[in-house]
Amino acid sequence: MAGRNLFATTNARVIGAFCVATLLHLAGAVLIPGYSSPFAVRAMLVLASLLAVASIGQTLVVIMGGIDLSIPFVIGFANVVAAQLYGDGWNFVLVCGLVGVLALVIGGLNGLISRSLDIQPLIVTLGIGMVVQGLVLLWTAGFPSGSAPQAVSSFVSIGGSAGPLPVPWLVPSLVVLSALVVLVLERTPYGRRLYALGSNPGAAPLALIDPVRMWIVTYAASAFFAAVAGVLLLGFTGSAYGDVGQPYLFQTIAAVVVGGAALVGGRGSYLGTIAGVLVLTEINTLLIGLGFQPSAVQAALGLIIVLLVSLYGRERHVSTTI
Amino acid sequence: MNPRLLVRARGMNPRLLSLSRSVGFAVVLLVILLAVNLILSPARFTPGSWGALVGLAAPLIGAAIASTPVILAGRGGIDISVGPLMGFVNAVVIQVLFLKAGISSPLLLVPAALLIGALVGAANGFLATVVRIQPIVATLGTYLILTGVTLTILPAPIGPAPAWLKALAGPWSILPLAVMFLVWWLVRRLPYYDQLMAVGSDDRAAYTAGVDVTRVRFIAYVIAGIFGGCAGLMLTALIGSADPNIGPTYTLIAIAAVALGGVSLAGGRGGVAGAAIGAIDIFLLQSVLTTFNVSTFVLQIAYGAILVLAVMLTALQERLAMRAR
Repeated sequence: MAGRNLFATTNARVIGAFCVATLLHLAGAVLIPGYSSPFAVRAMLVLASLLAVASIGQTLVVIMGGIDLSIPFVIGFANVVAAQLYGDGWNFVLVCGLVGVLALVIGGLNGLISRSLDIQPLIVTLGIGMVVQGLVLLWTAGFPSGSAPQAVSSFVSIGGSAGPLPVPWLVPSLVVLSALVVLVLERTPYGRRLYALGSNPGAAPLALIDPVRMWIVTYAASAFFAAVAGVLLLGFTGSAYGDVGQPYLFQTIAAVVVGGAALVGGRGSYLGTIAGVLVLTEINTLLIGLGFQPSAVQAALGLIIVLLVSLYGRERHVSTTI
Repeated sequence: MNPRLLVRARGMNPRLLSLSRSVGFAVVLLVILLAVNLILSPARFTPGSWGALVGLAAPLIGAAIASTPVILAGRGGIDISVGPLMGFVNAVVIQVLFLKAGISSPLLLVPAALLIGALVGAANGFLATVVRIQPIVATLGTYLILTGVTLTILPAPIGPAPAWLKALAGPWSILPLAVMFLVWWLVRRLPYYDQLMAVGSDDRAAYTAGVDVTRVRFIAYVIAGIFGGCAGLMLTALIGSADPNIGPTYTLIAIAAVALGGVSLAGGRGGVAGAAIGAIDIFLLQSVLTTFNVSTFVLQIAYGAILVLAVMLTALQERLAMRAR
């Protein structure tokens, strides 16, 4: 009985988040001239896609009952390392392979340390992230150089087009990637294990789920997608910047939660995260379009996150859990 | 129900056991780091300069103490708005109250800072316990709001602070710390403390035993807010001015200090003393690393690595202690 109820509420949260995104867009279209112009929508889609890629890992990790604070550091790491090596004349495919493998190692380490010693992943991922960022800064002496190959830039460029579609290839690719992530979560043994481990970490091992292995795999995936986001951001901004991932620290968490996931694990979906990403992107664009200062945008963002989550993301009272 | 009673029933010295279990590793680390510091830079650590050192460490210790009550209350309780609250108190006290309104008396400024803290804490508590938003999201909301508002009322650093507040920077910074410890010591005398620990260890059991779980958690957020306001004053004393960018940097380090000090982030285990020792550990660590005169990049690597190693060792030591029993 709990399973069906839970599913129903999760769906309701996802639908609620999509509704809010739509309402925000309508509000923007009414309040700001040009808000729904093709260029503005394209820009929002690209920004949302970048955040969606960075949030894949956070979604998986949160469903499992963890949290990953190393995402911004891994984004910065991939961003700087890819630019630097490509600038040194490496083959870009090779560069991406190396960055991807290193990210998998970083993420795997996060999962291994957190789970096998039963330490709060909050502290572990933060510490590992700081080490990674420090190593990158040391390597580049704080002044990263290099740039992205043309292919990556046009892949994410707001003005680009994907065949007949008026959006860069990033957007349709993200749609395919999202479908894959949803499929993996809903229809594979890995997905079922992930939800099982998140709902009841104590019982999952009895169902022959190896928690340590799951944590290593999931955190490795999280770091991998963070690295992908880092390389894409390199194409988007054109030059390397170690702190490029910093806004993504809280935004990925906010997107996941606005999308209806519970940080205690076992609940959430990638579709919900996509809805959360759209909500955040709409709010940001709307507030900047209304002429708010960045600091005021930040304050309003905090207020709106709290309001939204209090609308449909409330936890149960302790008396209903007995 | 009451953890103290449980321990007593097993025939152990409760005080010793809880102290060694919660802060054991942090104390060992403290002694090692103190020794290393004394060997590496004896000039900096002469008894005469201890006061200045306490002043430097005070805001972090205050932030760690402020982060503790909510974590003790359990079920994912965490307050990541402590750092921005310190920055907000700093900005309001200097920019709004001292420079614009011309209020300089400590009799007005100190209550104002504590009142701001209590109000922010009550807002956090309302969101996390009455509205029941997950604490990290609720306080993330407050984090963003406070950071944004602070930057709006204070776009750039400004000074100075009132003379009496600046005087709290050196040896006298022990005064607000002592007050915080005294307050917590008093809280520990109250039945409320036992309820807090019971809620933190198992809120469902506490609820069935008649504890008002929502009220207990709400009060924990208010206490955290008041301590946060106090830490904001200590930050103001240390920097002697107002700076909108310093406060938020304390949040994550303070939580790291709390975890290092043996406070379980799952709730119900640990205390303010452990959190303070964890904060001193981190301060001494920074001090050791700076004496090596390495680049800030190496500093950051070592800092992150030692943080992870320290929590790993804490976990291992806890595991060994469990096996020994």
